[in-house]
Amino acid sequence: MLAYVLRRLMATIPVMATVALFVFSLLYVAPGDPALVIAGDQATPAQIAHIRASLGLDRPFLIRFLEWVWQLVHLDLGNSIFTGLPVNRLIGERLEPTLSLMAVTLIFAISTAVPLGVVAASKAGTWIDRTIMMFAVFGFSVPIFVVGYLLAHVFALEFDWLPVQGYTSITKGLWSWLSHLILPSFSLGCVYVALITRVTRATMLEVLQQDYVRTARAKGVGQTRVLFVHALKNAAVPVVTVIGIGVALLIGGAVVTESVFALPGLGRLTVDAILRRDYPVIQGVILLFSSAYVLVNLGVDLVYTIVDPRIRY
Amino acid sequence: MVLIALFAPVLGTVDPGALSPMLRTRDPSAQFWFGTDIMGRDVYSRVLYGTRVSLVVGISVAVFASIGGLLVGIVAGFSRRADAIIMRLMDGLMAIPAILLAVALMALTRGSIGNVILAITIPEIPRVARLVRGVVLGLREQPYVDAAVAAGTRTPKILYMHILPNTFPHLIVQASYICASAMIAEAILSFIGAGTPPIVPSWGNIMAEGRALWQVKFYIVMFPAIFLSLTVLAVNLLGDGLRDSLDPRLAGRL
Repeated sequence: MLAYVLRRLMATIPVMATVALFVFSLLYVAPGDPALVIAGDQATPAQIAHIRASLGLDRPFLIRFLEWVWQLVHLDLGNSIFTGLPVNRLIGERLEPTLSLMAVTLIFAISTAVPLGVVAASKAGTWIDRTIMMFAVFGFSVPIFVVGYLLAHVFALEFDWLPVQGYTSITKGLWSWLSHLILPSFSLGCVYVALITRVTRATMLEVLQQDYVRTARAKGVGQTRVLFVHALKNAAVPVVTVIGIGVALLIGGAVVTESVFALPGLGRLTVDAILRRDYPVIQGVILLFSSAYVLVNLGVDLVYTIVDPRIRY
Repeated sequence: MVLIALFAPVLGTVDPGALSPMLRTRDPSAQFWFGTDIMGRDVYSRVLYGTRVSLVVGISVAVFASIGGLLVGIVAGFSRRADAIIMRLMDGLMAIPAILLAVALMALTRGSIGNVILAITIPEIPRVARLVRGVVLGLREQPYVDAAVAAGTRTPKILYMHILPNTFPHLIVQASYICASAMIAEAILSFIGAGTPPIVPSWGNIMAEGRALWQVKFYIVMFPAIFLSLTVLAVNLLGDGLRDSLDPRLAGRL
C-alpha cells in the first residue's frame, strides 16, 4: 500500500512538471515587460536595463525556469506585479470562501446525486427514471451563472429567504456562513449532480443484472437494502472515479460562481488577476488548483481500496 | 438556432450597436421586445447577433479540437515510442481544469473571436486525443489490420483506410458534446471579462454588462441566459441522439 502511494506520487511528478513548464511559459511569453511596468513612463533605457537585470529578466529561459522551480520547491510563488504582496499571502486570504464553497457543494452534490442515480436505475424506463434523466440533461446544459442568477432572483430578491451575495466567515456563526453558501453551492453543484447521477445510474443498471443481486432478492432482502447495500457497494468504483474527475468542473465553476455571488474567494482572485494581467498571481492559482486536482484524483485511487476491498495495490 | 444566426440582420428590429441614450434600461415593450440595456441598445437584437458568436465558437471548437485530437490520438495509438511522451504531455494539460487553462491562454492574447476559439480548443484536444488513442489501440489488434499489415500495406494507408473511418462514430458524438461545452466556455470567458471583445454582442458579454444591473433589470441577464441554455440543451440532446443511433448497444444506458 505504502509502496503504491509512493509510486503514484512519483507518477504525478511528470504531470506536475508539464503543468509547471506550461505555467512558467505563460509568464515568459506574456506580452508586456514587467520591467517597463515597474519603471514607469519616465524611465530611461539604462534604468529599465538595470531593473531588468535586478529581476533577472535578461537571463536565458532554462535558467530562469529552474530558478523558478527552485522557488516553488520552497513554496515561494513570487510577488504580485500589481500589489507587490506575496502571492502566497493573497492565496491564503482567499482560501477559506473557496474551500467552504467546494465542501458544501461536494456534500450537497454527492448526497443528492447518488440516491437519484440509484432510484433512476431501479425504476429504469418508467416516468421517474425519465424525469430524473431529463433533469440531468438540463443540469449539463444550463450554465452556472444562469442557475445562479435565477436562484438569486427568486430566493433572495423575490422571497428574501437567503442573502443575495457576499460571504461571512464560519467563525461568525454556522448559520450565517451556510446561508451565504446555499445558493452558490446549488448553482455550482448542478453540473456535478447531473454528471454523478448519470454515471451512478449507468453503473447501477449493470450491477442490478448480476447474479448476486438476484440471490439477495431471492432470499428476501428488502428493495432498499438490495439497492443501497448490495448493489451500490459494487457500483462504487466508477461513481467515486467520476466524483474525482468532476472536481475539475467544480474548480472551473468556482470562478464563475464566486463572480455571480460576490464571494471573495480564489475564483475572484483569478478573475481580478486576469483583468489586471497579474501573471504571478495567475500562475500561483493555476498551480494550486492543478496540484489540488491531481492530489484529489490520487486520493480517489486510494479510496478504491476502501470501497472495494478486492482491489489491492 | 442556425436559422436565427443566419437571419439575424432580418429578424433584428434595430442595429445591435445603435445607442439610444434617451431609452436606457427600458423594460421589455412592443418597441424593444427584450427591453434595452444600460447604453440604450436593444437587447433583443443583441441576443440574436449573440447566436452567431456562440454557434461560430461552438462549431469551430468542435471541428478544430476533433482534428487536433484525432491527429495526436492516432499518432499516440499507433506508435509506441511517441505514445509515452505524448500521453504524459496530455496528462499534464488535462491536470489543469479546462476553464482555467482557457482563461490563462486568454490572458496572454488580445480578446478576439479567433483567440477565444483557440483558447477553448487547446484544453479539449487532450480529451479527444485520449478517446481516439483508446479506439486506435483497440482497432490495432483487429484481424483485418493484421491482415493489412501482412499484405504489406504501408502504415499511412492503413491509418487512412482502416483506422480513420472507425474512429468517426466516436468522434462525431464527442464533437457534439464539445460544441455544447465550448458554447458554455465562451459565455463564461466573456462573462468574466476574458473572452470576446465587449464590442461584439455575445451572450456572455450581454450578461456581463447586465450583471451590474441584475438586481433591478433582471431581463438583461435572463434573455441571453435562456437562449444559451436552450441552444446548449439542443446540442446535448443531438449528441445523445447521435450516440444512441451510432452505438445501439449503449442506447438508453447512459
